[in-house]
Amino acid sequence: MTENIIFLAFIGALCSSDITAFGQFMICRPIFCAPVIGFLMGDISTGLRIGMIVEMLWINAIPLGASVPIDVSLISVLSTFWVCRYFLGFQEEVILGIILAVPFAYLYREIDIFGRNFNTKIMHWIEKGIESGKYWRIDAGVITGLFLFVLRAFLFCIFAMIVGCWIYSSIYPQLPEFVLLGFKKAWYLMPIAGFGMVIYNFKSVKIPFWRNSHYD
Amino acid sequence: MIKIYSRMFVRSFFIQTVWNYERMQNMGFVFILKPFLDKVYLNENKKKEALLRHIGHFNTHPYMSGVVVAIVANLEKKIAEDNVTNAKLPDVNNIKDTMAGPLAALGDLFFFGTLRPTISFISIFMLIFFVKVLDDRFVGYGILIPFIFIVLYNVVHIAARYWIMFLGFKFGKESIFVLSSFKFLLTLTRYSGLIIAIAALVLYFSTFGFGLNGMFPDFNAQDAIVYGIVLVCSVLVASRFGGIFLFYTIILTCILMSYLGI
Repeated sequence: MTENIIFLAFIGALCSSDITAFGQFMICRPIFCAPVIGFLMGDISTGLRIGMIVEMLWINAIPLGASVPIDVSLISVLSTFWVCRYFLGFQEEVILGIILAVPFAYLYREIDIFGRNFNTKIMHWIEKGIESGKYWRIDAGVITGLFLFVLRAFLFCIFAMIVGCWIYSSIYPQLPEFVLLGFKKAWYLMPIAGFGMVIYNFKSVKIPFWRNSHYD
Repeated sequence: MIKIYSRMFVRSFFIQTVWNYERMQNMGFVFILKPFLDKVYLNENKKKEALLRHIGHFNTHPYMSGVVVAIVANLEKKIAEDNVTNAKLPDVNNIKDTMAGPLAALGDLFFFGTLRPTISFISIFMLIFFVKVLDDRFVGYGILIPFIFIVLYNVVHIAARYWIMFLGFKFGKESIFVLSSFKFLLTLTRYSGLIIAIAALVLYFSTFGFGLNGMFPDFNAQDAIVYGIVLVCSVLVASRFGGIFLFYTIILTCILMSYLGI
């Protein structure tokens, strides 16, 4: 069992960087990164359940064109971390973890947009380098871009893990009984909602004898 | 030359590293093409001109970029070998822009819109299946689930990336027609994705049942109806709003139901 925040934040940063910065090997998807963090923290079944719920609910969240969607890998990494840290085995508390992780993922999206704007400066630096014959700047610029991407995800993960832990541990004891009961109900209903989201995702599949409104 | 092609293939994984709002993937494109230009242009000035030619706006699906890179590499090789003067240069940027749009649409639809959800659902199906079959031993074997996803996806992804780049080198501009002739794969994957999703839903109900652990203590008998309503409502909500809205709506509804004692 690993509770080393720096190590876990680094794993989270690598997963998050996969969305844009390198490869797109899909290690950013919740079905991969939540169980891995869960495994490292000693509760793989919670990680798998979080991975399944987040994967299904945000099945369409992937950057297409110039859009920057919410960072689903951060939602799964942060919620798995908080739940495994405080409620090992208490799976219902996952819902509170995801509720808290979504605003952090939104905040990271803004940082990501800032980072992409900063990349314009790197691009101009490389362009000037090419004009003056310094071709090494192409490789150096790409390495710098990758380093900055991983660094900002890493620093944000550390920040979110520490601040989130503090918020999580101070909010949870104050929650009234009916809210916790609501979380328990939501825990069982959330996979069903995820299945609904997935069925909607496959809406354009033409089924024989079925009038598909998508093509009307 | 094989070594150069391999370097270009490895570099194609970094096409979006310096993604920027001004010219999007332009630096990634130049980064992939650089080893090739180093090889074909021996004259420094010509090489500089070639690099500056590709610094303009470029954006496509990252997996599909290989085709455009390969076509442009073929053109650049021709320009370098024929020693074409500036006045007679083919409009390389025009070719890049014309191909980028359709390729992005193809890539988004097949890889991100169909293949990834389908493979996600194979692993979710396996997850529920493991819970059903393994019971207590599930914790030990659970780590296999994320690796099933990663291995299945990347076998297809890396092979497709390699093949797409090879296609560009071999067929040039005609490669887009070759790619569109594989449309049946898209339909096949979409159907199998839907079938796996429905199979996973059925398996979920048969494994966890309706109303696990007394989910709704006051009306156990109607749990199946609650599940059905949630399923239909979530499809409707998903069609108008996103996943976040759906998530918070369910939580608020559950809290409200608990408050009212339902």
